[in-house]
Amino acid sequence: MLGTIALESLKRRRHTAILTLVSITISICLLLSVDIIRTQVKSSFTRTVSGVDLIVGAPSGQLNLLLSSVFNIGTPTKGIAWDSVESLSSNKQVSWFIPLSLGDTHKGFRVVGTTNRFFTHFKYGNMQPLRFAHGNVFNAQRSAVIGADIASSLGYSVGDNIVISHGLGNVSFNNHDTHPFIVSGVLEKTGTPVDKAVYVTLEGLEGAHSNHTSSSTLKKPAPTHSHDMDNEHEHEYEHEHEHEHEHEHEHEHEHDNANNSKSDYNSDTFEPQQVSVVMIGLKHRVTALQLQYQVNQNKDTPLMAILPGMALAELWQIMGNIEALLLALSALIVICALIGLATMQLATMRERYQEIAVLRTIGAGPLTLLLLIQIEAMLITTAGIVLSLLLVAGLMGIIGPWLSSEYGLFISSPLFGQSSVFIIGLVLTSTYLVSLFPALAAYKRGLHAGLNGR
Amino acid sequence: MVANTSSNTLSELAVDIRHLRFAYTNSDAPVISIDKWQVRRGEHVFLFGPSGSGKSTLLNLLSGTLTTSSGIISLLGESFSTLSNRQRDRFRAQHIGVVFQQFNLIPYLSVEQNIRAAAYFAHSKLRNDALSKKMEDLLKRLQLPSNVLNAKADALSIGQQQRVAIARALINSPQLLIVDEPTSALDVNARDSFMALLKSVAKESTLIFVSHDPAMANYFDTQIDIQTLHASKSTDALHEIKEGISC
Repeated sequence: MLGTIALESLKRRRHTAILTLVSITISICLLLSVDIIRTQVKSSFTRTVSGVDLIVGAPSGQLNLLLSSVFNIGTPTKGIAWDSVESLSSNKQVSWFIPLSLGDTHKGFRVVGTTNRFFTHFKYGNMQPLRFAHGNVFNAQRSAVIGADIASSLGYSVGDNIVISHGLGNVSFNNHDTHPFIVSGVLEKTGTPVDKAVYVTLEGLEGAHSNHTSSSTLKKPAPTHSHDMDNEHEHEYEHEHEHEHEHEHEHEHEHDNANNSKSDYNSDTFEPQQVSVVMIGLKHRVTALQLQYQVNQNKDTPLMAILPGMALAELWQIMGNIEALLLALSALIVICALIGLATMQLATMRERYQEIAVLRTIGAGPLTLLLLIQIEAMLITTAGIVLSLLLVAGLMGIIGPWLSSEYGLFISSPLFGQSSVFIIGLVLTSTYLVSLFPALAAYKRGLHAGLNGR
Repeated sequence: MVANTSSNTLSELAVDIRHLRFAYTNSDAPVISIDKWQVRRGEHVFLFGPSGSGKSTLLNLLSGTLTTSSGIISLLGESFSTLSNRQRDRFRAQHIGVVFQQFNLIPYLSVEQNIRAAAYFAHSKLRNDALSKKMEDLLKRLQLPSNVLNAKADALSIGQQQRVAIARALINSPQLLIVDEPTSALDVNARDSFMALLKSVAKESTLIFVSHDPAMANYFDTQIDIQTLHASKSTDALHEIKEGISC
């Protein structure tokens, strides 16, 4: 009965109630959105890379190196010579390494030059390996593997041609038109920047940049460092080399060749002049700090090694204050909206004194009236919370693709976590406390004053 | 009216007032000053007096919407004036029906919700279907169509509001019904009709009916001029005025 009375009372004052509801909904939306973005940023960044112990690049800031190599954000660092990569990979502690060459794009999506090691060793989330939805790894010099979002947004499938552009940005006047790549595989969705990247062979990428034929860049693999790392294809090298050599002047047949040479091509044998970054997996993670120290202290070859976890921690430290500030501001806005709710109730209390007195006369005690006013406040706030949850879910669905393409932030399920539940609980508790002011006014109001206006 | 209380036991009395004094906080002069007044159970009393004589104040004291400055009010054998606020609220909800001058229906609730609210706050033990039946029966006796149940209170005519207010006051079968000038907005014909209706539905209750209009006394066996009550030192001094009014 109290619920009915509260609801009917709000319907009676629907104009002020709706305005209050709108202000509460907007404020809760803001608070929930800030919290969701905050938690999703952390979860998205943490999920993006897993199992990579060190990232080595040219000396710059560790955040810049992390963001450009893992999250495809910002400008790639200067390249590092392949000799340095070989030197690193020959370290006894290194289990595997993935060379990455950055700086090109395809229709606004980042292009990453790498080898098939990437698809074997790169993990995301909780050590989840990359899986192919269609096709397979690089099977020719001009093979490309695309992320799930690129396949869906650009409508690419295995066998399609891709022309990459030099430099970053959505529009480029320097397209490598004469050096198209053929999609050999489409990765399953990961909810990480991998979904929005085009992976091409280092060999193909260097070929595109140098305008040389594919075979002219092919070198014999270094025999010293690969015996303990991904050397399963090395024995095929000579055969592959011959195979490539046979077709070095037959560019018009290169696509067919790419598709037919799936089992022959070994992308790992190519030695580029330089790469942007190297991701390293160690045999024992405890040696990561030691190796990082060695790399960073090496004065002959200036390199910078970072631990992804520590770089992320630095990122959170920087973001922590901004996060706290945004949350505090949003919380203040919610409090203002709730005070607005109490003000609305207090303002309407004068016209309600008679109604309150009548309720008292027919048996409603002061505590019942206190409860009635609080139920009204709770109804508005609960409606605001429900609307906010729906709006935020809808908003995230709409801006999710934009967030991922512009900021590399992938919104994943569940959207609302423990912190959202905590926020909702806090908002309800605050409503209870704030609504005590009008509720106490109703509680204290005498019967006679309401009925006779004294 | 009780002429002599010596033979009456408390249980036979619906109202027993002793040495009642009441003054509003912003005034030193007492508005109510009654040494003794008693009303038997089942009695229908007409309380009249000019505007400002304290009629409504006395009814507010009887219904517990005002608390006494001094003195004792006993209702239905219960020392009403000494009950705590909470006890008084509960007692009022369960034993007293009040029909206000302005009817005081809650405007945003439907007729059914207004009546059900009274049953709800009185902690009525009636099951939902029994309550519905009782409500329909009351409306029928008050000559209100059943489709009025879903109408909002402020959409009703004055006459309908008046009857709904009576239905709300009677839903808990109160032993004491207090009615404060409900006929002031009615013409003579409507007033006659309303009074006949009120008397019939409230025949099992003690009824205290207040009006400034002495002509209403015709409907009652017992009439009290509140000014005389104020002047009295005991109920023995009260005088019946029925004949005087009739003349």
